[in-house]
Amino acid sequence: MANETQHVRLHGLSHVFADGREPLRVFDDVSTGMPRGQFTSIIGPSGCGKSTLLRIVGGLLEPSAGEVRIDGARPRAAQRRHDIGIVFQEPALLPWRTVAANVRLPLEIDGARRRGTDVESLLDLVGLGEFRDYYPHQLSGGMRQRVAIARALAVDPALLLMDEPFGALDEITRTAMRYELLRIWASQAEAATRKTVLFVTHSITEAIVMSDRIVVINGRPGRIVADVAVELPRPRTQEIERSAPFLDYADHLRSLLVGAVA
Amino acid sequence: MNGRLRGIVRGLVTYGLPPAIAFAVVIGAWEAYVSWRDVSILVVPAPSDVWERFVDDPGYFWEQGWWTLYEATLGLIFGTTVAVALAIVMAHSRPVERGLLPLAIAMKVTPLVAIGPVLIVIFGFGTTPKIFLAALLCFFPMLVNALTGFRDVDPGALEFMRSLRASPWSIFWKLRAPSSLPYVISALRITYPLALVGAVIAEWFTGNRGLGYVVYSAAQNLRTPELFSAIAVLALIGVAINIALSLLERRLLFWHESVRSTR
Ligand SMILES: Nc1ncnc2c1ncn2[C@@H]1O[C@H](COP(=O)(O)OP(=O)(O)O)[C@@H](O)[C@H]1O
Ligand SMILES: [Mg+2]
Repeated sequence: MANETQHVRLHGLSHVFADGREPLRVFDDVSTGMPRGQFTSIIGPSGCGKSTLLRIVGGLLEPSAGEVRIDGARPRAAQRRHDIGIVFQEPALLPWRTVAANVRLPLEIDGARRRGTDVESLLDLVGLGEFRDYYPHQLSGGMRQRVAIARALAVDPALLLMDEPFGALDEITRTAMRYELLRIWASQAEAATRKTVLFVTHSITEAIVMSDRIVVINGRPGRIVADVAVELPRPRTQEIERSAPFLDYADHLRSLLVGAVA
Repeated sequence: MNGRLRGIVRGLVTYGLPPAIAFAVVIGAWEAYVSWRDVSILVVPAPSDVWERFVDDPGYFWEQGWWTLYEATLGLIFGTTVAVALAIVMAHSRPVERGLLPLAIAMKVTPLVAIGPVLIVIFGFGTTPKIFLAALLCFFPMLVNALTGFRDVDPGALEFMRSLRASPWSIFWKLRAPSSLPYVISALRITYPLALVGAVIAEWFTGNRGLGYVVYSAAQNLRTPELFSAIAVLALIGVAINIALSLLERRLLFWHESVRSTR
């Protein structure tokens, strides 16, 4: 109860995968919090347990030790309230459903809160208004990921979990999508009621461009090695990537991630 | 309209002509061989003899074919229903799967047609033994395919639904059932012909109608042109089933890469 503004809190999280030949300790004693309405990135090399951490926060996996609190309750409570939206690296759309029907999926799930979410305006928000009747196989990778984002936003969750959402896109699309996501996030509401975003990436540029704060994980098992506040003004545009403060942050993060390659 | 017609003609020429030529060559060679070696009509009739017998009374063959198709289809429906129902339970319960899968595999490795003669003892001579054997032959391939299909869901989509506390019911209908369709339809391509085999064999043992019965009694009485006519009608039924399944597949699986890649 120390800090009431924390939307999400992680207490001494550790996770061990015990199904392999040798138990694999993925990360150890991770404790931190995400303030409501902030954009937090988790950055770290492949295999340091970022995806596992995100799945634990989302209530899809029970940690071996420690606990997650979302609004003071277990992730399952947040799931039940439909307060978690997830976007993965792969869009994971239902190929037999149109764009609009994919975005509607969460609203069809039992007990969905219908907070007046309007699929049409969501599609407009992600720039797919004209593609509502298309099927996923008729879209580009970037457009599919926009559908996945719209689908995650459909229940208007307070917490948005994103696991390298642009990791499978080509460089040009992925750069554009970063600023698109920032626009979508900022359009949701005024800063005080914005969604809390937990964004996993292994791109230093992506982490700086998007985040209010970057949690750096490193080592095996993964541990939090730094917690960097990114004090760059918003709204951010691509020019920021050439600014001096940006480059300083990049150098700093790079130094924290050296020796990361196991 | 004109362009569409031209497309249909081109499709017929591209996809219809080669098999038609191959078919004509086989029939022609068969006809030539039989007349060249003067093969007895009691051993192998010439295609022209078979055709003669068929056009003599086509209604008879269609009627018998209809019976066989009817029994096979009912068997298919029963076998598929039980297999899919069981697959649904197994997909949701590992203990049930572990309990039943060995049994199902034992069924698979048993040549089930061997129980044909027993069927008379159990079910008598009516339609039941035909439907039963057809259903039995359909059962295993459908069970395994449906089970695989229910399990082969996009892991991201599954986790997404779980993150919203979707019920198993909802996950089944919105995710597992549609995901299994490609498996179920490709299983039908195997099981529908198997159902025909089951019906025909049951007709041998317990029949007084159906193409299996025609084949059996024609062979007993050395009416070989009749026997071959019955086989040809069986082949036609098989082809028709395959075409019907292809059309169904194109309609239902427009979103699946197996269909998209053939466009
Ligand atoms: N379900 C699982 N069972 C066993 N090991 C797993 C499982 N999921 C992930 N791992 C292992 O845990 C480690 C961390 O995985 P992950 O969280 O995906 O890392 P990251 O997302 O940072 O690349 C990897 O070594 C991976 O092989
Ligand atoms: Mg990962």
